[in-house]
Amino acid sequence: MAETLLALQKVTKRFDEVTALAPTSLEVAEGSFVAIVGPSGCGKSTLFNVIAGLLEPDEGEVRLGDRVVNGATGHVGYMLQKDLLVPWRTVEDNITMVARLTRRVRREDREEARRIATQYGLGDYLRHYPSALSGGMRQRVAFMRTLVTHQDLLLLDEPFGALDAQTRLEMQQWLLQVWRESGRTVLFITHDVDESLFLSDRVLVMSPRPGRVVADIANPLDRPRTMETLLDARFVELKGRIMHLLHGGAP
Amino acid sequence: MRNVLIPIVSLVVVGLLWQAIVVLFHVAPYVAPRPLQAIQAVTQNWSSLWPLTLGTIRETIYGFFTGAGLGVGLGVIMAKVPVLQRSVYPVLVTSQAVPIIALASPLVLIFGFSVVVMVIIVAWIVFFPVTVNVVDGLSHVDQDFLNLARVYGASRWRTFVHIEVPATASPLFSGLKIGATYAVTGAVIGELAASSGTSLALYQEHANTNLNAAGVYGTTLLMTVIGISWFLLVVLAEVALTPWQRRSVARRYPWSRRG
Repeated sequence: MAETLLALQKVTKRFDEVTALAPTSLEVAEGSFVAIVGPSGCGKSTLFNVIAGLLEPDEGEVRLGDRVVNGATGHVGYMLQKDLLVPWRTVEDNITMVARLTRRVRREDREEARRIATQYGLGDYLRHYPSALSGGMRQRVAFMRTLVTHQDLLLLDEPFGALDAQTRLEMQQWLLQVWRESGRTVLFITHDVDESLFLSDRVLVMSPRPGRVVADIANPLDRPRTMETLLDARFVELKGRIMHLLHGGAP
Repeated sequence: MRNVLIPIVSLVVVGLLWQAIVVLFHVAPYVAPRPLQAIQAVTQNWSSLWPLTLGTIRETIYGFFTGAGLGVGLGVIMAKVPVLQRSVYPVLVTSQAVPIIALASPLVLIFGFSVVVMVIIVAWIVFFPVTVNVVDGLSHVDQDFLNLARVYGASRWRTFVHIEVPATASPLFSGLKIGATYAVTGAVIGELAASSGTSLALYQEHANTNLNAAGVYGTTLLMTVIGISWFLLVVLAEVALTPWQRRSVARRYPWSRRG
């Protein structure tokens, strides 16, 4: 059994009178891929922002490895549906953006950016501005920017939500490849049940008012996952179960 | 090429219209000259006009940079200190409600007949659109960019330099372009007010007294050309400094960092 990388102990977040996140406890094993599904307003993004340190929990404890990181930043990789590439920097300079924001960009940073872009098929676009790239390519660059921060824990908040179905499928397979090769731990928010099952080792189902985790489902589907995975009987059965939960059914 | 051709063609059309009106309505030469006569009035007196033109250009440039610097500084401070934004904004708006002509005389009383008067008037006109645009630009930087910087523990200074400043480039240049168009107007008003020594504005007044219509119109054309040139220089600076707005691939410069 791999070690626990992230542990939440009864983490609670309220905005004025509204409880955005009811006491939530969960553990994420190092190197695992955990998907979080839930309808909008179920507190997924609040949960992410608490883990990332953008929000301080009102109660409870966020633990990363052996450190308590409540309200502290600088310890996770973070990517949203919006790629947040700055239009005034080239692809290479966008990949090194976090280094630029936190210290000086070194020669190794540039070399790594070029290496990773080349490895994942964007080597010819290093000097392009983001405006010249397609949505899928932009999300790849955003993910590379997240990877080169060398954080063990990556928080991905619906990163492919704005892409068309075809591109999204390509990006999912690409993400699985990168995840396998990089050995990072991924927490992946989505409202797409297929996506959560295709990618993850484990699916957390959340429900709103107040936001809480209502089910923690192990995903036994074999890896590597392919198109066939989507037709696997277990896939269909799990999907049915999660859909049932999302529409208010009892676990 | 079309970008250059179309404005030139429309300028020529305006000239032809002018010519047509003067010819068709038999406008007397002491009321309005033909366009070519006005241009000749400039070229034939170039040796005396050139130093005056240089003077106006100098006032415009000094005033523009003073105003732009002041505008950026004020804009940044106001965007970062909300209390100042609320308290200083009304003062700035009031400053622009003062008729510039009415501002000139007290300035002359304070500074005498000096170039300082022109510089202050130009700066007075230029700083306002710059400040407004910088405040606007800085307060509308996408919050998600700022959150991204925060998640990674970026300092406020680095976030400002690498996110907020470049994100404000477009509105800043809008402000500078508006300022550039009005800068020459300010310089000429200053020259009229500080009516001593020599200047383009006084040259025009002189031509007027002598019923030299071609000279009057010619000087107006000359002032306009100064204004347009300054505007175009600001546009050129924008093109050079914000390449991502027009290009899809970054240029390679000899000084580009390598390795």
